[in-house]
Amino acid sequence: MGNCLKINSADDISLLRGSESFSGQDGGPTPVSQHEPMTQVFYPTSSSSPGDAAGAGNHMSEEDQIKIAKRIGLVQHLPIGTYDSSSKKARECVICMVEFCVDEAVRYLPCMHIYHVHCIDDWLIRSLTCPSCLEPVDAALLTSYETT
Amino acid sequence: MSELQSSLLLKKQLAELNKNPVEGFSAGLIDENDIFRWEVLIIGPPDTLYEGGFFKAHLYFPKEYPLRPPRMKFVTEIWHPNIEKNGDVCISILHEPGDDKWGYEKASERWLPVHTVETILISVISMLADPNDESPANVDAAKEWRESYPDFKRKVARCVRKSQEECS
Repeated sequence: MGNCLKINSADDISLLRGSESFSGQDGGPTPVSQHEPMTQVFYPTSSSSPGDAAGAGNHMSEEDQIKIAKRIGLVQHLPIGTYDSSSKKARECVICMVEFCVDEAVRYLPCMHIYHVHCIDDWLIRSLTCPSCLEPVDAALLTSYETT
Repeated sequence: MSELQSSLLLKKQLAELNKNPVEGFSAGLIDENDIFRWEVLIIGPPDTLYEGGFFKAHLYFPKEYPLRPPRMKFVTEIWHPNIEKNGDVCISILHEPGDDKWGYEKASERWLPVHTVETILISVISMLADPNDESPANVDAAKEWRESYPDFKRKVARCVRKSQEECS
């Protein structure tokens, strides 16, 4: 249901290469287009967005908003691929319990667990752990990122 | 996760639990038109003080489920160190994800979006059998459990009897 958006763009693992600065001074890395609606939810100027992930955001301090904005930037560096039914990967997203469709966009975590992009992104904003194995999502990257 | 997706996920779980009931509890809705509010009946686990009891509890799911946990409240009176006197269940897997303010819970012990009604109830049933003494919600019950077990037992037995009367 509504999860079957097809994207043909190459996954953005390429964004992990090189040594781009994550400082955000230059506006940060360009977000992949399909994430825009979610990103907007966290813009500090959005005063009345009742979006689900923003539920906790109505009383957020500026500091928290910056933290979340940074986290969104980080999450967007995790690779996206398309679901390939021939592989032995999970058949359904364990967050929404809906089966993946072929060619559907899935997010790969460092532990190689996969989820629908919108399901896992909403979760990672809240907790940077894989819901299946509790592996921290690139803790090393996060530390270097947050101290900058 | 939209409200529609949340309700679909809950509907799926309800259908699955109706088709393949899980031992130890039964589940339904408080109001059949509201998928976000469940009523469960927990059977007091065998070989525990709660054996023989039938404990009714309500689960209130937020619209953001499964990204955020439900609240759980016993409607039947129950005496337990990890259940507040008003029935609110205090169990770490129902605690919001995110930074650990208190520093005493591991991420694995807190809410995860893979939890379902079934996994929540399995945890609650195991909590009945094995109270967690470290972070009691009902301090009096915890103290009694530790220091005057016969009194604790007597109070639980009274709840069990009462729950049987309410169910018959």
